[in-house]
Formats: sequence, C-alpha cells, structure tokens
Amino acid sequence: MKRRIMSSLCAAALVFSMAACGSSNAPAADGADTNQAASENTAANDTAASDDAAKEGGELILYTWEGMFPQEVLDGFTEKTGIEIVYSNFDTDETMLEKLSQAEGGTYDLVIADDYIIEQAVQAGLVQEIDKDTVTNFGNINPLYQGQFYDPEDKYTVPYGAGIPLIVYDPEQVGFEITGYEDLWNPELEDKVALTANYRVINGITLLSMGQSMNTEDVAVIEEAGKKLLDLAPNVRMIQDDNTQNALLNGEAAVAFLYTSQVTQVMAENPDLKVVYPKEGLGFGIMAGFIPSQAPNAKAANEFLNYLLEPEVSAQCFDFLGYYCTTKAADDLVNPDLVVPDSVTKGEIIQNVSQEADEAFNKNWTEFKDACD
Amino acid sequence: MMKRRNKWWLCVAPLYIFTLIFVLGPLIYMVALSFATNNDGIGVTWQFTLENFTKMADPVYVRCFVQSFQMAFMTTIFVVLIGYPFGYFMAKLSARGKKLLMFLIMIPFWTSSLIRMYGWIIILQVKGLFNKILLAVGIIDEPLKILYSYPAVVIGMVYALLPFMILAVYSSVEKMDWSLVEAARDLGASAPKAFLTVTLKLTLPGLLSGVILTFVPSMGLFFIADILGGNKIVLVGSLIQDQLTRGSNWPFAAALAVVLMILTTLMIYLYRSITHTKDLEGMF
Repeated sequence: MKRRIMSSLCAAALVFSMAACGSSNAPAADGADTNQAASENTAANDTAASDDAAKEGGELILYTWEGMFPQEVLDGFTEKTGIEIVYSNFDTDETMLEKLSQAEGGTYDLVIADDYIIEQAVQAGLVQEIDKDTVTNFGNINPLYQGQFYDPEDKYTVPYGAGIPLIVYDPEQVGFEITGYEDLWNPELEDKVALTANYRVINGITLLSMGQSMNTEDVAVIEEAGKKLLDLAPNVRMIQDDNTQNALLNGEAAVAFLYTSQVTQVMAENPDLKVVYPKEGLGFGIMAGFIPSQAPNAKAANEFLNYLLEPEVSAQCFDFLGYYCTTKAADDLVNPDLVVPDSVTKGEIIQNVSQEADEAFNKNWTEFKDACD
Repeated sequence: MMKRRNKWWLCVAPLYIFTLIFVLGPLIYMVALSFATNNDGIGVTWQFTLENFTKMADPVYVRCFVQSFQMAFMTTIFVVLIGYPFGYFMAKLSARGKKLLMFLIMIPFWTSSLIRMYGWIIILQVKGLFNKILLAVGIIDEPLKILYSYPAVVIGMVYALLPFMILAVYSSVEKMDWSLVEAARDLGASAPKAFLTVTLKLTLPGLLSGVILTFVPSMGLFFIADILGGNKIVLVGSLIQDQLTRGSNWPFAAALAVVLMILTTLMIYLYRSITHTKDLEGMF
C-alpha cells in the first residue's frame, strides 16, 4: 500500500514532466523524444533475447520492484534447477503494465505487482493461467488472500505478501482496550491518535466502522462517512504517511493506525505496544505473481512460483520483506508478527471507484484535515 | 543586446530557449490543464470546462485559501520582526563579523531543508530538547505538545524563510549612504525620526523583496505543514499536492495553482503600490 503511494507520487512527477515537455517542445524535439524512447525499448528487448539464448539451463526473466527477494532465495532456485534468474525492476505498477502491453505479454516470464493492476492486466488479456500441475504447492496459499477481485477463481495469480494497515497502541497511555476502528472515536483519545495519510484508507475504515463497504460508490453513504470523520478530528494528533510509527515511539501519540512495514518496525522497537486486528474487518493490499500471456519461459515461471510456495522459502522471503505472510504453510516458520491470526476472517481490498465517489472521498478528506486543527 | 545588433545573443539564446521551454511551457500547460476535464482514474480529456474553478467556491476550499493567507501573513510578520533588525545590525558589523555571520546563515543551506525540518521534530517533540529545558528550568510541569500544531508550522516557516529576509535587508542596508542619516541628524531629526524617514525609506526595496521572498513561498511550502503540522493544517500547497497525487485530479490541481498564482501576483502588486517601490532589491 505504502509502495503504491510512493509510486503514484513518482508516476505523477514523471508524467507531469513528460507531459510538460510534450506540450511546449517544438515538433522536431518531440520526434526526437519518441525515437529515443523507441530505441531504448528495442535495446531492452535485444538484451533480454540474446541473454535468453546464451544460458543453457534456461532463463527466468523476473519483473518486479527492486528488493523483493533475498539473494539466497534466488541463488537457491538457480542451484536447484539450473535456471538463471534475470531480475528486472520497475518503479510503479503503471510502468509495468505499460511495458508489458508494449511487449504484448511477452519478454517477461514472471511479474509480481499490486492487486489492482493485476486486474487490469487480466482484463487486457496479458496474463496466462498458472499450471497447477507444476505448482503443486498451490495448496500452501492462505485462503484469506485468495478469491480476490483481481482473480476470483484463483486461476492466474499466486499471492506474494500482503500489506494490512492496523491499529497499534500503547496500553500504558490508553485506559481501555481497543478492539476496532470505532474505538478511535472514543473521546478519551483526544489529541492522541496518529493516522496514515491515505484518503481512501481513512475513509475506508470510517465506512467499515459504519458497517459499510470500503468501496461503496453511494455518495450519500460517503457523505455520511464524511460527517462521522469530522467527529474523529479532535482525537487526531497527526496525519502522515512517512515515519508515522515514530510518533508512537517518541510519545507524541498513544494510538496509531499504521501500514504493515511500520507495524513491524514499531513492534520490533517496543514489544510492549499492542497490535489490534480491528473487529470490523481489515483493509488490505496484496502483491501477487502472474505469468504474462506470451512469457518466453512459462515453465520456469511456474517452477519458480512452486519454489516460492515451499514453506521454508516463503518464510525466508517474508522475513526479508516484512509484509504479511500469504503462505499458510509457512506460518509456523516466519516471524510471528507477520502472521494474521486465524480469528481474522474478513478483509476487503481498496479498489478503484467511480469518479463521483472518488471526488466525494477526496472532499471528505480535505474537510477532515481542515477540521483537525 | 538585441539593440546593438551583434551576434552576442547567440551565446545567451540557449538560456532563453531553456527558460521558454521549462518555465513558460509548464505554465502554459498548467493554465490549459486547469480548463480540461478530469478522467475517471488517471489522465485528462481535453474538453473545455469551468468546473475546476467553480468547484473552488466550496467553503472547504475557500477556507483553505484563507488559512494559507493567514499562515503567510503570520510568517511574514515574524520574519520581518526578526529579519529586519538582524540584517540591519549585520550590515553595521565589522568586515570580519559580517563574514562570520554570513557564513553562519549560509551553513544550513548545505543541508536539505527537509532534514532540517526533521531536526525541528527532535527539538519540539514531547520528549524533546525544548520540553526538557523548560521542565528543568521549572517553567512548566507537564511537557508541552507543540509539535503538530499551528505554532510548530509557523516556527518551521519562519526558520526556513528567515535567511531570505536577512540577506535582502542586509544588502540594502549595506549599500545605503549613511551620510544621508548624518545629514538628517544634523538638521535636527531625532534618531528614531531619522530612521523612519531616511533609513527605512532607503531600505524599503530590500525589505519588500524580503517580504515577497517570504510571503510567496510560505503559501506553497506544504512539506513544512506536513512534517511539523502533522498534515492537519491544509495549505493550498498541500491541497494541490494532494490533488496531483492521491486525488489524481490534475485539472483541479492546475486550477488551484492558477488561482494561487493570480492571488500572489495581486499581493505583490499591492505591496508595491502601497509602498511606492518600483525596483526591488535583487529582483527584477
């Protein structure tokens, strides 16, 4: 989730600068730009193709964000199968989809990206089904993360880590037990709550506390959530995406609603804090691997997915990543902080909503922030 | 240079072209964008609409502009109160003293302003230096919650923008002809009167450019409101950033930016006409 915000920031900056050039440049310069972009692309394809032919054990072109795997895991796969892994990375989901559609589902063997973009890739016909005869470990996946909107029949994807924003609080500073989002509204928490700054997430938990869906498109309901959010304002100490966990650690806030990586960090630094899996249900984001429709080496990709689903390998990966473990079979091996308790059964992923609904969410957010001070 | 009709302009042409493309180009793009229609999701449709501007009449956005102006005024007042005397006395120091002070003012610029803002967090936080000192001295019994409040943002803004005022005033005071002040005193003006009628008038261009250099950026320094204000104070700058990124409504962001630009231009015009200053120190 956090990654998505960062990446949309980068994307915005990038597109803005490109668009700005495009509109003001002379036509000649424009032409040069396009040529350069095109030649870059061919270059990338060329390297991929020539490398492919060179290795005898075959090659797996893995396309994901930087730093998604511990080196031992990648080396282990090569040792086991003789397949070389070529790690190719992207900054944003949108870049990935753009490149993948330019390559018409080819070039890359395995892509790991965020839930919502996978939905778009599937719709664009850029994804092929997982070969479950090869991926025999498919049953190791935690069903909590299956059957999601981007792949309702679990045909195309293998989840690889989930991010779940959770409530963390300091029991010494809070006189009652927090069990859900609703408790954030408790007047006792005046000026004590730190929140992440994602407008959809905060609107979402308000909706969940009202028993509504995070993805509702009913503007009347969203406006009602907006009113409820205003009541939360007096309790808010700060709203921030980065380093929100520090507010909890240095005593600025007693309760914080944090992203997964922040929860992991804060618990490592102060184990006396309490993590709450809100009873109203969780909002989360899932990263998952899929095989592009024209993947040059789909067989290797299936083998790699199978390898990743082995409990020991999964545990190694999630310990490294710090995201929630999506491989049920690895739950006993991985850092216990990364396992969602069994009592948690409900979850919802934030999806794109209609423009009208999105604007209502935005307005709620601005009004809420304005009311906070 | 064009008037002399030699070929020197060829040397500066790249600069002009650069400016045209990277300053004027984005501006034109922004104005055009503010009249475009926002798409569902990402992207825009180039269909003329005034909706982006009419939407701003919503009280929440109006309040946002009002709050930004208040914040900018507040910051500017504090910066003038601290920066003017500082620049004034700095100009009267010995050459050595001037050099030293100038050095001290410049040093913070070697560090990213973002990092310096995080430094303020460490100072202002509940368990921070400021509270520790106040507690130790016995001025307060309970630590103050200064961080993530209005005062914290003002402190950050004043801190970030003060050097611009100091340097503008300094250069203006430094090149002032002091014999004019002496003449005023000789003709019977008291020291305060000489200051008000001579020194202040002569250093007004410096003061004014300092004010503009403070006022204009303070409406856009959204990261200070973000880091020190905990995002609770919505300035136009943060609203624009929000619309560009999370809200992904670029036309609205562009419209906000256009209105902000018009308002700041108006403010500059007002400052100049009120104070009857034509040329500003170090500007234009």
